[in-house]
Amino acid sequence: MILKKYLHIIILFIIFFLLGSIPTSAKVDIGGELAASLINIIDNEGNIFAYPQASLDLELYIPPFDNNQIKSAVYLYTNPTTGQLDFMFKKLYLKHKFNKLHLTVGRQPISWSFGSMLNPVDFTLGAIVMEEETGAKYQDAIEGYLPLNWNTSVSVTAALPENSQGIKWGLRGRTVIEGYDLTLNHVQEPEMEIMGAIIPASQRIGFTGKGDLGPFGIYGALGYYFKDNDNGDLAYLIGGDYSYFFEAGNKIYFQLEYLSMKKENLSSILGPFFAGNVTNNLNENIGLILGMVNYEIDEFSQINLMAISSLNDGSIIIMPRYRNQLSNDLSFNLSTGIYFGKEDTLFGSNVSEGAQQKPKGMISIGLTYSF
Amino acid sequence: MKKIKWFLLIGITVSILFSSLIITIAAEMTAEEIILKRDSNEYFDTAQMEAEMIIVSGSRKITKTMVALTDKKNSLVEFTNSQDRGTKFLKREDDLWMFFPDAEEIIKISGHMLNQGMMGSDFSYQDIMEADKLTDLYDFEIIKEEEFEGRPCYVLEGIAREGVKVSYYRRVSWVDKERFIGLKEELYTESGRILKETKANVIEEIEGRWVPTNSVMENKLRKDTYTEFTITQIKFNLEIPEETFSLQNLR
Repeated sequence: MILKKYLHIIILFIIFFLLGSIPTSAKVDIGGELAASLINIIDNEGNIFAYPQASLDLELYIPPFDNNQIKSAVYLYTNPTTGQLDFMFKKLYLKHKFNKLHLTVGRQPISWSFGSMLNPVDFTLGAIVMEEETGAKYQDAIEGYLPLNWNTSVSVTAALPENSQGIKWGLRGRTVIEGYDLTLNHVQEPEMEIMGAIIPASQRIGFTGKGDLGPFGIYGALGYYFKDNDNGDLAYLIGGDYSYFFEAGNKIYFQLEYLSMKKENLSSILGPFFAGNVTNNLNENIGLILGMVNYEIDEFSQINLMAISSLNDGSIIIMPRYRNQLSNDLSFNLSTGIYFGKEDTLFGSNVSEGAQQKPKGMISIGLTYSF
Repeated sequence: MKKIKWFLLIGITVSILFSSLIITIAAEMTAEEIILKRDSNEYFDTAQMEAEMIIVSGSRKITKTMVALTDKKNSLVEFTNSQDRGTKFLKREDDLWMFFPDAEEIIKISGHMLNQGMMGSDFSYQDIMEADKLTDLYDFEIIKEEEFEGRPCYVLEGIAREGVKVSYYRRVSWVDKERFIGLKEELYTESGRILKETKANVIEEIEGRWVPTNSVMENKLRKDTYTEFTITQIKFNLEIPEETFSLQNLR
């Protein structure tokens, strides 16, 4: 599609044109984050493969003017497969706030997160995986956002997916009732071609809710994936969170959620790295339980333990992490991931022939510098 | 004659003493009056401020900077230091919303998080973003008068009113007698355990109000840790458009 091919160039031209109209007194700033880490992959035989990884998140901060907002952010990274430097635009958009409508055109993040670790009803499935942001949420799109009052809105999104000639449509309504944040959405995916395989057009509807029940935070999602034969698939998620304050003043935070959905839809939700073994019994209903515990050691450091387990086969991924903010702008991160499970289980490191080989574990040590 | 003179002298002395007592009683303020005067100084319709928060633990410290807008019931805070740049919080009544700048998404924060330290500091979200009058939240009584760092103060004890949601069940406040501003505050749980102590280090007169432009909050449950809060710029009673405290404005 011609629009898709030249969208970034068109947006750049518009941005440069508008930049010329910004008052010279406006403060334009550059900032971002530089990250460097050493990643160690442990295979089933106990062999360790280590490789360095670096990334630079660069953002141009332009103050809003005349109801316009320009955002530009580029992500440079070393490709783990090729070792070469690669880049992608995370943001390159222009937003204009009309009287009753906000219009955003260009490369932008489209995320319908509501606080859960997995989201079966996001605009792009797998955009957030266990609180880790993935590149999947950055889309070339036009978004119309209509605020109806301080907490109620409707948004319409037309995106141009990477692997498709068609348009992906999304409609989302959001409001607050009795203190509960509620959303209702609809997504229509076009036909896609991924590595030679044609994935037919599909659509889904979703509902999410988040609020408080006494001292607990609670949330949930319900999704319906339409199918050609009128037998759609249902997916649902329920979860909660809680904080406990110790005598010494430290705090521990718990989050627990349960997700039920068909196996064939699961790989999208889990994202590419945590896809596990999803090639067999695609029609099987999978129950996943996820838990997270976060303990603040002091004002600057914390340890975190996350686990995801399949209730169907007992396989599990355990992910301990440690983070320490060394100074205003520098932080140290240590994260690990260990897979437990028999052959052909969802998270088992031994997988059957034809399925993607998964490691036994992963350790990442790195530093992040913000500027 | 001599006797009459003595009686006259004693009578005059007693009268003077008695009159002084009456004047003294008439000049003493009630706890409610003191807190009302404090509220009239510290409570504002709207405010815009820039501030810096230094979180200290032992020999380590981290600085966060922010801009904030607040009215009677709502607050909007945006962090401007490099690590947290663009992160915003919106407090509307008892609800807290957070804007994540990278994903540009808005999440409603669970209620139990309101009492946790904002961005790792000793000031909770409630501490920073609460805008209610003390007279609406607590019943106060004067427990003593004493000097604090050379300033004569009323010392008042406030107990949370029934049915009102507050972060600290009991607070003991040292209120400057002349300027009616809190110089020191001890914050307690219902069980009597001291949680935090806050002290105003620097007080300036801004737009006719006494403002603590530098204060320190100490977490009494942890050793050797405190947060210093400095207001670098503040304006009161400015016009803030209604849509400022909205989810649309967080985006």
